[in-house]
Amino acid sequence: MIYLDNNATTRIAPEVAEAMLPYLTKFFGNPSSAHALGREMKQAVENARQEVAELIGAADTSEVVFTSCGSESDNWAINGALATQPEKKHIVTTQVEHEAVRNLCQQLETQGYEVSWIGVNSEGELDMEGLRQALRDDTAIVSVMLANNETGVLFPISEIGQLVRERTNALFHVDGVQAVGKLPIDLKSWQVDLFALSGHKFHAPQGIGALYMRRGVDLPSFIVGGKQEDGRRAGTSAVPGIVGLGAASRLARLEDDHDTVLDLRNLLEDSILNEIPNARLNGPADRTKRLPNTSNISFEYVEGQNILTHLDQHGICVSTGSACHSSSHESSPTLRAMNVPYTTAQGSIRFSVGRYNNDAEIRETLNVLPGIIRKLVDMSPYEKELKALYAKKA
Amino acid sequence: MRRHPRALLVEILLSSAETLKEHFLNPSNVGEAGEPRFTGRAVSVSCGAVVQFSVQVDQAHNILQAKFRAVGCDVLISASSLLSEAVTGMSTAEAANDVHSQSFVEEFAEIDDNRSACVALAGSALISALQDYSNTARDEWSGDDALICTCFFVSEQTIEREIQNRGLTTVGEVTRVCSAGGGCGSCHQLIQEIIDSVALP
Repeated sequence: MIYLDNNATTRIAPEVAEAMLPYLTKFFGNPSSAHALGREMKQAVENARQEVAELIGAADTSEVVFTSCGSESDNWAINGALATQPEKKHIVTTQVEHEAVRNLCQQLETQGYEVSWIGVNSEGELDMEGLRQALRDDTAIVSVMLANNETGVLFPISEIGQLVRERTNALFHVDGVQAVGKLPIDLKSWQVDLFALSGHKFHAPQGIGALYMRRGVDLPSFIVGGKQEDGRRAGTSAVPGIVGLGAASRLARLEDDHDTVLDLRNLLEDSILNEIPNARLNGPADRTKRLPNTSNISFEYVEGQNILTHLDQHGICVSTGSACHSSSHESSPTLRAMNVPYTTAQGSIRFSVGRYNNDAEIRETLNVLPGIIRKLVDMSPYEKELKALYAKKA
Repeated sequence: MRRHPRALLVEILLSSAETLKEHFLNPSNVGEAGEPRFTGRAVSVSCGAVVQFSVQVDQAHNILQAKFRAVGCDVLISASSLLSEAVTGMSTAEAANDVHSQSFVEEFAEIDDNRSACVALAGSALISALQDYSNTARDEWSGDDALICTCFFVSEQTIEREIQNRGLTTVGEVTRVCSAGGGCGSCHQLIQEIIDSVALP
């Protein structure tokens, strides 16, 4: 199997599994217990918190609170920010957020909140002027992702943070789920109040996430119950997952695989764009504006779902930006916000490389892909358009 | 024996997952049929899929080749491939009768699931190609009596007579009595015009 879907989820690192194992076997206590076993568990949780804090550049370890996933962190951040400022009914977010933010904000729109949805340009870059103008005195929260899950496009968080501070008293939430482990993050130097991350995106297991809350930002607990996590999040701590998240954070900080991932992604992207005439990049050609591991490429006038099925036959795992649900075929909101034409969005494939990929896997993918695309091109009724593209390339 | 008109598309819809997958991975009859070629297209506004069928028809009105091109989901491609195989060798009337889509797309869509719309779309494209054939055949017909239904070779005279003798008032009644209009459906408008003209005082 060649796994090029690392933005969906990642393999648990062996080092992470090893760190977790004792907490799946002999250390089974409750960190809230006062006895020796409880203290052992508590220590493991605090060590992990330290690792996460270091990875994201938190000023203080206590700013990290463990949650069950990225979506919980995003939901908590937004709902919590609104709950602490009941007089403010305005939210600023973008048109390209992950569902955890987008669908929540859509729901809030039906509950009396006004949402400003900031757009992007055709390369997926944020409309900064639109954002500036949307900020108001009654804005409760600004929620913006650091890296787009589909295209890998990065938003200038430091710049946005400054803008938010200058113009409002709103809380600034960043969905960092797709960026953590792939980019250096330094929250103490950014004007960020809330920051969501998820373990399984960087080689920790699924089911563990965290919310960074800048000191002084105090959100009500999203889950009502006990006094865990300093009274900020109820529910018995998921110690094995937390230990895994700590180990994955340490690994991401110390084992620098960014260059390898970047090289593999570049090899894949360059070769596809050079060799396949109807291939087109979704996102800025300037790679410093994107995650080092992601390429979102459209194969014009063919269907992404078909490409995915064919690649799957060869054991190659990717994602498509288009999804066919019974009678409607929705291209992704991100690609729609970028104004990607339908016949282009329809054929979009997201390749996301990870630390366990190697050169041979990329070459094998490059070996298989052109034949698949050729087969679908030969089947496409858009013969004229494709003929023109292929003639231009030749 | 004539099958129930819905049978073919239902059979395709109920094909096994393995059959559908095999036809998706290695579809039959991709491309354009030979001359004389008649083509039709169907587009789904809801999902953006496009499928194009072309048929080559001989003097005896048999389909020698049925070919397709498609951009759409995996099911659409499998269905187009299966359909092209199934209608090759059939007469145009048989194929149209088996696949006729317009009248039952909605009902058919209730049978199952999210795949019915995709299968029906392939059927619509084929019907559209058969209508292209019928319209051409009707235009080129050089007999004394105008040919209305090119699937079942029913002339204007026959239809007029049946309407008058039996007091028929709808296209459906005409089809039941003399088969006219029971195939691709391209002559429904013409039959309606005959009904209207006969009914005039």
